[in-house]
Amino acid sequence: MRAMHRIVVDAMGGDHAPDEVVRGAAEASLVLTNAEIILVGDAAVLGRLLPRMRHDGARVRVHHAPTFVEMDEKPAEALAAKPEASIAVAADLVARGEGDALVSAGNTGASVLACARRWTLLQGVRRAALAAVYPTELRRGEKDDPFSLILDVGATIDATAEDLVGFAVMGSAYAKLVSQNRRPRVALLSNGTEAGKGPASVIEANARLVETTELNFIGNIEGLDIPRGVADVVVTSGFVGNVVLKMLEGVSETVVRLARYAHKERLAWRLGLVALSSAIDQLKEVTDWQQYGGAPLLGFTHPFIKAHGRSNARAVQNAVKVAHKALAGNLCGNIARTMAELDERAQRRLEA
Amino acid sequence: MGLLGKLTALPVRVGEKIGLLEPEVLPLPPGARPPRHTFRWDLDKTYLRTEFDSLADLAKSAIETAADKQAYPGATALLRALRQDEHRICIVSGSPTQMRQVLAAKLALDGVEYDEFVLKNNLKNILKGRFRSLRAQIPYKLPAMLRSRIAAAAQHETLFGDDAEADAIIYCLYADLVAGNVSLGDLERVLTASRAYDDDAERCLALAREVPRGEAVRRMFIHLDRRSPPMGFRRFGPRLVPVYNYFQAALVLYEDHVLTARQVIFVALEMLDSKQYELGHLATSVQDVIRRGRITRETALQLAAEANEAAKSGALSGRRDLPPFEQIAEAFRERVRELGTGHVPDEPSLEPLDYVRLVDEEHEHRHRRRRQGMG
Repeated sequence: MRAMHRIVVDAMGGDHAPDEVVRGAAEASLVLTNAEIILVGDAAVLGRLLPRMRHDGARVRVHHAPTFVEMDEKPAEALAAKPEASIAVAADLVARGEGDALVSAGNTGASVLACARRWTLLQGVRRAALAAVYPTELRRGEKDDPFSLILDVGATIDATAEDLVGFAVMGSAYAKLVSQNRRPRVALLSNGTEAGKGPASVIEANARLVETTELNFIGNIEGLDIPRGVADVVVTSGFVGNVVLKMLEGVSETVVRLARYAHKERLAWRLGLVALSSAIDQLKEVTDWQQYGGAPLLGFTHPFIKAHGRSNARAVQNAVKVAHKALAGNLCGNIARTMAELDERAQRRLEA
Repeated sequence: MGLLGKLTALPVRVGEKIGLLEPEVLPLPPGARPPRHTFRWDLDKTYLRTEFDSLADLAKSAIETAADKQAYPGATALLRALRQDEHRICIVSGSPTQMRQVLAAKLALDGVEYDEFVLKNNLKNILKGRFRSLRAQIPYKLPAMLRSRIAAAAQHETLFGDDAEADAIIYCLYADLVAGNVSLGDLERVLTASRAYDDDAERCLALAREVPRGEAVRRMFIHLDRRSPPMGFRRFGPRLVPVYNYFQAALVLYEDHVLTARQVIFVALEMLDSKQYELGHLATSVQDVIRRGRITRETALQLAAEANEAAKSGALSGRRDLPPFEQIAEAFRERVRELGTGHVPDEPSLEPLDYVRLVDEEHEHRHRRRRQGMG
């Protein structure tokens, strides 16, 4: 029997929690035969929901947590006021070694904070990074994945050159495993493609990454290269990453609003949109974040997959599968090993 | 047996060999003590891991040898445990009579002893042009169970089936019929809804008139082979327990005082030996049945204490692959504690069952599945 992976799921986090979260986890229990799923939340509520769903009763268990953090609560205040919130209890379980990975569709800030306070960073990693996926023109990896990975998008505000190198290693390891991309193209986000452009941290990180053989570093890229899909892993500081991500989301929403406006305003525009509808549907399918599952918080000794707040059962099921994949592929071990190799080379260089 | 006797018996033996004739269910010899407890088992998807959702599955199942056939983890240990104390084991399966040899060989390989083994005579149905009977469950299983009870009526009965077909409905109907809660008029309406042929329905009604009455059926287990939501079985009341595995069935039978802690351990060990379950799965299975209100926390804790005694007296001797029993018991207790104290399980329904409606729903469900290409 293969090693059993214990995946802790914050059952109360998310816009459609607990129903859709429990349903997604229940469905995951039917396909992941060497996983145990631990649903954390109000045992009375979860105990009523589970028997209504198809699942494997030997592979899904409930761990009681009396409260939870609402989606719009301030993370630090909420965690201080609710020490027994589901996300805190879930992160605790993993920290105590009673779970191997965590999945949550709940309040992002509270989830990251709960993990950061309880979990340890991997050896060689100075700061954790929250990654996000963004649909691009190009496909990548064996899975023809249309998503590129951007990190950090907000786990840390500022990042040194060393942190950026760490993010590059973590992002590459994740893309290798989840997108089945053997040599993901890694790039630094800057205000020009030249190696000498950008803030000091980016210039220094560029110099270090150029020397690595472990990564497929393609140099610097600009903002407009992100949707083009020039890089599979885009590395930046949390501050810049968050601004970029929000801007990209804003642009997408504006396009949708404009299309709705066009649909209402003129018959010719409406006909044009109808003619394009199958292509739009195809595009929607390609860029469907629900099939991607979630974005990881990288750098800790355990994987944490942050599913979208609006996740339905399918998205949660996929997030659980991603967590399982991260465990089965020893994501954290791979990151630690690459970090150790980089560290060793840096030491040798210093000694030389 | 004389020559004449041998010649007379020959067509019967040939008929049995090709599955056209079935061995009769014989009554208990005169003066024999009636069994205290009868356990009735289905085979496919209950005891044996069988796929018959597609024609390819059916063909594979038909050509499998006894050694190829797989029992569900824990089922063999449970059947062996139930056989003790002169309890009666009766197997009623929807598999065709032509499978008798291979199925009997499989049971022999597993060391499972039984008193009755009834299979469905589909060859006879085809030869008689009774094609409705090929898929019919109620008009086949119910009379078979009634006939068996008439031959040897036990004080208590426990039934094992699965969620693939209509086992829950048939078992509850049988239990209510034996308890006198279903009138012959109602049974006739159920048989009509089940599309039973007239002569089959008449035979079934005659058996129902004759069957010894009593509140005999204490417990029914439905093995969730399809992983159907357990809530779907709530309407069948507290006596019917949907289980994901046979450790859960053993836990409920322990609470019913049918099995001892030692016997539960043997079921658990067989599941661990199958390599399909780890201790964590078993502990989670305990939590699941508690959460669904099918055993109490007190029962789980009492079992842990009694199992500890059984382990000390050698039930786990030679099991170097397992941690010390105290550690196992603590893991199980932890699963119970994880539930907190506020959880109150949904009570199963106590409403009387409308069997005609259930049969109609089951037909509709089966047609829907067939349309979806799921068998």
